Amino acid sequence: MIPNVAVLEIANPHFRMPRLWIPLILLWLPLAVLLLLLSPILFIIVCAISMTTGVGPFRVVRIFWDILSSLRGTDVRVTANGNKVLVRIL
Amino acid sequence: MNENRRQILEMLAAGKITADEADRLLAALEPEPTATAGEFTGNIAGSKGWSGNDMGATVKTHAKYLRVLVESTEKNGPTTVNVRVPMQLLRAGVRLASLIPQQAHDQLDETLSKHGVPLTLSQIKPENLEELIDHLGDLTVDVDAKEEKAKVRVFCE
Repeated sequence: MIPNVAVLEIANPHFRMPRLWIPLILLWLPLAVLLLLLSPILFIIVCAISMTTGVGPFRVVRIFWDILSSLRGTDVRVTANGNKVLVRIL
Repeated sequence: MNENRRQILEMLAAGKITADEADRLLAALEPEPTATAGEFTGNIAGSKGWSGNDMGATVKTHAKYLRVLVESTEKNGPTTVNVRVPMQLLRAGVRLASLIPQQAHDQLDETLSKHGVPLTLSQIKPENLEELIDHLGDLTVDVDAKEEKAKVRVFCE
């Protein structure tokens, strides 16, 4: 299942951004329309990748889909020198 | 408490069986954990049982995430990195490596070996990753620098 929400927080000693809850679902819908419109170009790109690597075009699409789907649960928190970055994908 | 358990405890109380025999009988009543593909076995040192006893138990569970914790103390203050990566993303990443052309693989391998990492990327396959996950268990690496102390911990959860 593709990720639905991303959480982003950036803070430093002088500035603290409120925690942002980004609804990715709103991004996927226009992106799906865009992908549909660009599908002929994307098809050529995917075929080019397939010819270069010798991997089937459907496998290429599947691999990218798998990467997108498996992003859920990613959690990155970095704190250094009073700076703090939080990225979560839900 | 079910009937079998009660009978064993009554037999123990009546002195018909010893504590060891009762323990074995009670253990036999417990359902056997079954292992399936994708599970790993990790020994959790110092893990606590229900009674709070130190068991050093061997648990079988699905590893869903790889966690990397880095803690270091620098001159400017402490630095912490806490990254949780889904195992599925690692598997997908390994599959993505199959899209890299052979020429690029060769160049990467050459560059890595130049930098002292004798690794052949084309040999890393999802099966190898499963093996790695199996053996990763609970790995702790302590890194000491000259003036800074850094602790790196990598484990599956």
